Amino acid sequence: MKEKFEPNIIGFLCNWCSYAGADLAGTSRIQYPPNLKAIRVMCSGRVNPIFVINALQQGADGVLIGGCHPGDCHYERGNYLARRRMAVLKKLLEHTGIDPNRVRMTWVSAAEGNKFAEVVKEVTEDIRKLGPMQHFKRENKW
Amino acid sequence: MVDEKELRDVVKKTISRDDVKYVVGYEKGTYGFQATPCFAYKPEDAEKFIFSPLCVHNLTVFPMLEEKPPLRKGEEPDTRKIGVVVKGCDSRAIVQILQEKGLERDKVVIIGIPCSGVIDPKKIEAKFPGHIKKVEVNDEDDKFAVTVDGKTQKIPKDELMPEKCKTCEYPNPVLYDILIGKEIKSKKKEDYKKVNAFEKKSMKEKWDYWEKQFEKCIRCYACRNACPLCYCKECMVDQLNPQWVRRSVNLSENTAWNLLRAFHLAGRCIGCEQCERACPMGIPLMKLNKKIEKEIKEMFEYEAGISAEEKPLLAMFKPDDPEEFIL
Repeated sequence: MKEKFEPNIIGFLCNWCSYAGADLAGTSRIQYPPNLKAIRVMCSGRVNPIFVINALQQGADGVLIGGCHPGDCHYERGNYLARRRMAVLKKLLEHTGIDPNRVRMTWVSAAEGNKFAEVVKEVTEDIRKLGPMQHFKRENKW
Repeated sequence: MVDEKELRDVVKKTISRDDVKYVVGYEKGTYGFQATPCFAYKPEDAEKFIFSPLCVHNLTVFPMLEEKPPLRKGEEPDTRKIGVVVKGCDSRAIVQILQEKGLERDKVVIIGIPCSGVIDPKKIEAKFPGHIKKVEVNDEDDKFAVTVDGKTQKIPKDELMPEKCKTCEYPNPVLYDILIGKEIKSKKKEDYKKVNAFEKKSMKEKWDYWEKQFEKCIRCYACRNACPLCYCKECMVDQLNPQWVRRSVNLSENTAWNLLRAFHLAGRCIGCEQCERACPMGIPLMKLNKKIEKEIKEMFEYEAGISAEEKPLLAMFKPDDPEEFIL
């Protein structure tokens, strides 16, 4: 029997906004898909593209990066830098034939539990449509 | 065409200075269509120096390869400068390194050469296969005069030039201490024709293409070592803790390496094509670099290697950077 595809999404959430937003979504008992595995980083500017590519290699079907709204960054400019980086990375992925929608970025503040749930729903549905990431998944053969 | 006598005189004068350690330039290769890097430590070494259309290499990599062994007790650090012979494109690499503060401005003496286009070694070897004796190549306006076995052939430049020269916007060095000859004018414009053509393909076609290319990679890291801008003290692929990219040669790791290499050159690659020339497996690495270059020009109106005072692309931001991809 073929199992239904459940996307595996890694979320890099910034400690000050998105992670708190996810926490609020949880404490407010808002339902959202359980496909997102949250990893707390201190700032979205901490997310090195190497993390994203490594996640895709290790079996993630998509990556979501959550940061503070522009201007709200705890470190003043981390989210702006992350935005530039991800813009370039997405173009590069697109050029090599990997759907850039597998890497998503969002601004969620600590008060936006509802928005966080909406974003996770949208990303999960998008990646469900794209199907499993098979381009360069790492094969562990030992 | 560059006056070689003038070049030799300048090199001789530079190396005679007390504060210059050595000058790196080009000399005739030992066989065939080759020019090799050459180092002058003494004034008489300057006699070897040449400049011909065969001088494709980007020599700016040498000041970056400089080893700095730990000093012995009582030993003074060597603060002498290094002289580099650069073409237009190579000078942009130096500007980029200066911008990132990888080198100090007063540690290099830049000898600039206006260049009207060089020859791609792969293309000329395909045209004259198996030649191991020395050959003469001269630059004649819109043609290269190639002398093989005493016979001179004139070949249109477009047939032999690498891609970078066909769309070169900077034939004159952007930054130099000494300029050899006169500045030349160029009307060439970068139009990203190949990138645009590749973009029209579907996702599946693109991946099928790159899958084949990345599978060829043997991970010799020649692209990294030849690149003047890949000078991290420890490259992320050599790191063991955490080990981001494994050493095994397979599609997954090769893709990760090639994507990350291209990303690390985002906003830094100056398009000297040194990586592609060094690649023993013939992977079209410049296709990735050019794509990023094009997108950066469109999105951030930024070009690498133009001004040493500007901040590096990914270390600065504008509040109104494009963000249509953000949810």
